[in-house]
Amino acid sequence: MLLAAINWHSFFFLFFALLACGFAVGVLVSSNIVRMAFYLVMSLSATAGLFFLAGAEFVGAMQLMIYVGGTMVLLIFGVMLTARERFINMQTPGGQWVLAAAAGGLFFFILVVNAFQVPDWNTPNPGQDQLAIAESKTTTQIGAAFVGVRLDRPEADNATQRAGMSGYLLPFEIVSVHLLVVLIGAAYLARAKRRVDQPES
Amino acid sequence: MNLLTDPITVSHYMVVGAVLFVVGLVCMGTKRNALGVLMGIELVLNGANINFIAFGSKYLRAETLGLDGQLIALFVIVLAAAEAAVALAIALNFYNNHSTIDVDRADDLKG
Amino acid sequence: MADYLLPRLLGLAVLTPLVSFFAILLFGTRMGKRGVAGGVCATAAILFSAVLSFSAFGVWITTHPPVPVAHHGEHETGEHQTGEHGEESHGHAETAHDEAGHAEAAHAETHGDGDSASHAATPHYTGEIYLLGKFGDLRLTISYYIDALTICMFCMVTLIATCIHSYAQGYMHDELVDDYVDHEATLDDGSHVHRPGRYHRFFQYLSLFCFSMLGLVYAGNIVMVFVFWELVGICSYFLIGFYIERQSASTAANKAFIVNRVGDFGMIIGLMVIWTGLGTFSFGDVPLFDDNGVALVDEHGEQLEQPGIFTQVRTAVAHHTPDGIIKAASPDETAALVAVAGPDASRAELSQLIDEQVPQWRAEKDEKGAPRGYWLMIVGGVGIFCGCVGKSAQFPLHTWLPDAMEGPTPVSALVHSATMVAAGVYLVGRFYPFFVPEVLLVIACTGVFTLFMAATIAITATDIKRVLAYSTISQLGYMMLALGVGGWLAGMMHLITHAFFKSLLFMCSGSVIHAVHTNEMTEMGGLRKKMPYTAYTMLVGCLAIIGAGVPFLIGFSGYYSKDAILEQSLSLMQTPGNPGWTQVFFLAAAGGAAITAFYMFRLWYLTFAGEPRNQERYDHAHESPKVMYVPLVVLAVFAAGVAWHLPFPGSDSPSLANVNLTNLLEQARPLETLADAPGQLIAMTWPAEHKSHASGIVVQATMVAFATAMGGLLLATVFYCWRKLNPEDVRNQFAWVYRFLLHKWWFDELYNFLFERPVHFVASLASAIDKTIFDRLIDGTASVVKTFAKWFELVADQKIVDGAVNGFANRVYASGLWLRNVQRGNLREYVLFIMIGAAVIYMLMSFFGGGAIAG
Repeated sequence: MLLAAINWHSFFFLFFALLACGFAVGVLVSSNIVRMAFYLVMSLSATAGLFFLAGAEFVGAMQLMIYVGGTMVLLIFGVMLTARERFINMQTPGGQWVLAAAAGGLFFFILVVNAFQVPDWNTPNPGQDQLAIAESKTTTQIGAAFVGVRLDRPEADNATQRAGMSGYLLPFEIVSVHLLVVLIGAAYLARAKRRVDQPES
Repeated sequence: MNLLTDPITVSHYMVVGAVLFVVGLVCMGTKRNALGVLMGIELVLNGANINFIAFGSKYLRAETLGLDGQLIALFVIVLAAAEAAVALAIALNFYNNHSTIDVDRADDLKG
Repeated sequence: MADYLLPRLLGLAVLTPLVSFFAILLFGTRMGKRGVAGGVCATAAILFSAVLSFSAFGVWITTHPPVPVAHHGEHETGEHQTGEHGEESHGHAETAHDEAGHAEAAHAETHGDGDSASHAATPHYTGEIYLLGKFGDLRLTISYYIDALTICMFCMVTLIATCIHSYAQGYMHDELVDDYVDHEATLDDGSHVHRPGRYHRFFQYLSLFCFSMLGLVYAGNIVMVFVFWELVGICSYFLIGFYIERQSASTAANKAFIVNRVGDFGMIIGLMVIWTGLGTFSFGDVPLFDDNGVALVDEHGEQLEQPGIFTQVRTAVAHHTPDGIIKAASPDETAALVAVAGPDASRAELSQLIDEQVPQWRAEKDEKGAPRGYWLMIVGGVGIFCGCVGKSAQFPLHTWLPDAMEGPTPVSALVHSATMVAAGVYLVGRFYPFFVPEVLLVIACTGVFTLFMAATIAITATDIKRVLAYSTISQLGYMMLALGVGGWLAGMMHLITHAFFKSLLFMCSGSVIHAVHTNEMTEMGGLRKKMPYTAYTMLVGCLAIIGAGVPFLIGFSGYYSKDAILEQSLSLMQTPGNPGWTQVFFLAAAGGAAITAFYMFRLWYLTFAGEPRNQERYDHAHESPKVMYVPLVVLAVFAAGVAWHLPFPGSDSPSLANVNLTNLLEQARPLETLADAPGQLIAMTWPAEHKSHASGIVVQATMVAFATAMGGLLLATVFYCWRKLNPEDVRNQFAWVYRFLLHKWWFDELYNFLFERPVHFVASLASAIDKTIFDRLIDGTASVVKTFAKWFELVADQKIVDGAVNGFANRVYASGLWLRNVQRGNLREYVLFIMIGAAVIYMLMSFFGGGAIAG
């Protein structure tokens, strides 16, 4: 009975949420940089699961590919390149821990309180069950939106409004150029320099 | 309110986002390792991304951001990747110059 | 047409020298080589003025042809003039009539309509050019007043000035060098002063003077006269002090200026009386307009006019005291009237009340027999005359004129003989209607004393220019005497003729000085052969000044004017009822004529006749250049013939046949000289000037004048030409008289004792008081203030102000240091700050923002 009463959607949400939060806290509390990287990968992957649960399959996939794939590779390269002494441990003074925890707790409190203050936000979508599974296929829509056609918003009757919502072609291009610039910049910044200064006394 | 039986709402996602966000922040505030700070930033961005996805999801609300939320989340992911690349480059440079990636040593511009 | 043309022609004539002045002032140094064109510029300007003046003269004689003076029967003359000119003179023929209707008292004293009409105003043109300011009823304007006298003065001044400008171009030739050595100015080390030539500067001042002099004649109100009066004064100051490096020249300039100020003080008193009593400064009537420029009219639709000075005093009755003067002399009665009328009475009612009382007041006399307001008239008249005394160098302010000879000779000729010093006489003539008989007596006494005194001093002077200077004073005394004894025409005529022959004499003397480089006649002699033009033109001048002529037939210009003076003084003497001492006027004038003849020919003989006394100077002498002697010839012609009664040249019209100086001036004659004027305080009667034309008087006066002139001439010839008598003997015989005269009656010494010493004493006393008391007081105050300031600076400035500022600065610095701790460069702290900041901002907004976020 209990098993039948389980809302599996909620269950998996809970599962992934706990994973994401738990590994995030792991990142926080670990002082080993390699472990931190591992925990971060796990946390980001769990987040991708949450994205899938929310019906954003494409974004979830991107999360896995870009973040977990690309970003983490970068990070680990960074770890390896910089960790001259193995698993370097840099202790943080306890006072700062306390201070950061207090400030973080305050912030967390504010955010959680706010999250439950809007009735619309903590009310489940009543038509959740009526949604056809096919409608959640978003890849086509996103792809169309990127080249300038919004398939998800056909109902906007105002021509001007429609024109304004005519997709993300321009932001897409901007982001593309931005990425290019960033990659070139990163390559420039990180290029190998033979000169390695001795640490100043 | 039973978490297992009741349907999921936006608020639940927001709580998860908040956890990631705050953990990221605290991570930034406590890690002396520059890469640790960078990971904190990734967590913060992720926390924000969860919120975008939640508000854009058709399953959670009748009136949603829809595709806009997902698209912005995508942009954030891309920007985060870009930012990670640049930040790592900076960290490498810093390391080359100072032979350490302790951010507490990065106080050359201190007033 | 004349009323349009005359003001413009003459106004342009006034302004042209001013333009020249500014041109030379601004561009003088760039005018040709060393400013040589400055002289040409000034000469051209004054020549243009002369042309304009003579054009105006032409306009005048065509519109107002002079009529011959009928020597008998004044009524006939009066009516004749009225018929000819009454209509043309801006309707002023009715002025007297209006006045009669206006004031009942005047009506009572009018002798009927015919007589009233015969006293119609003289033909003149007056008008305002620009209103400078308005104070109540008093209008300060630039205005003009043009009558026959103005025209004559304009022609005289511009003609003489043209001649003198031309002459000065030659005379001032020495200045056309870059390095002028002034041999008469010696420095402490014994060397002479070297300075750049000031040729253009001289003409600059000359132009300014011409402008001022012409403006003085042109002026239509007494304030404008006063302004130009001072302007000629300052020009005179500049020109006397032209050789400023010479001690004597700068002293003389100061003396002239200061002595004139004494006279001007009296003049200002006179102006105050005029303002108080008459409420206007204008000579002629001024049409009234309201603020919008619309003419004000009376109930008959006629233009209302503010009566000018002349209209108020030139009423039907000679020396009728104007209403305004009577009111001004009755302050107590007026106050009583106002008190009776009560505080509610309007201004118009009050003035009507007062006007009703005026006839009654006029009839009253004080214990000395003077009508009300009469003393005010005397004070005003004497005040105005004071200014004339200063400007015309009359006793007791005559001492500046001989010293003024320090200026260049053209200046002496123009300013200090022909025009400026004559301005005093001109003003007396212009203001003649304002002078009551008692004032005339003062004028006559001043004149007669001056003429006699100056003539005697001239006998002993050896400086050629000083002889002429004293001669000028003496001749000005003649003019004053003439005016004082009632001979308006005689005085004015002598003014014109004197201007010609005296400027001629001065220029001749200048020519001589130019040739021999000395002023001392004892070093001259025999120059006749060397410089014939100068000698013979000067002879003409000498003959003119002594009034030589064939009695009853023809003579040089002085013959006419001097005889007229003698006639009038004789007429005064012979008027029944006049006391015996009035003979003094005639006797002194006649004696003065003899002395004049003596010293003038003494001058001529000493300079031109006989043997040279200083051979070196004689050999050096030469005739002056053409630019200098041509003006001499021109002036000699005028000096000889300006008063001749010739038919006007180039005219067939019978109306122009009578154009001569006498008839022209007759047109400007003040009406009161047409009737006998009895004194109110003194038992004397001033006879009408026509009466002096009675044949008995004329024969007597002419014979006396001829005899005295010839006597003086003969005496001079005996002494200095034939040398039958040795002047040395006479000098020794009358040593004390000689010393007395040589020291100029000890006037300078007297003034030194009377004024300078006391003033110096008072000044040194004041200086001592200043130094011992006031300076100490001020020094003490200053040190107290200084001490206080130091203390105050310590307390207020350093402690309070500086403390506050420094304290604030320190606080800012400290807070900066404290805030610096925040910026430690610790990345993680910054993250914390962001977090805490965001949280705090959120909380603040949720507390104070009305839940806009969490809503």
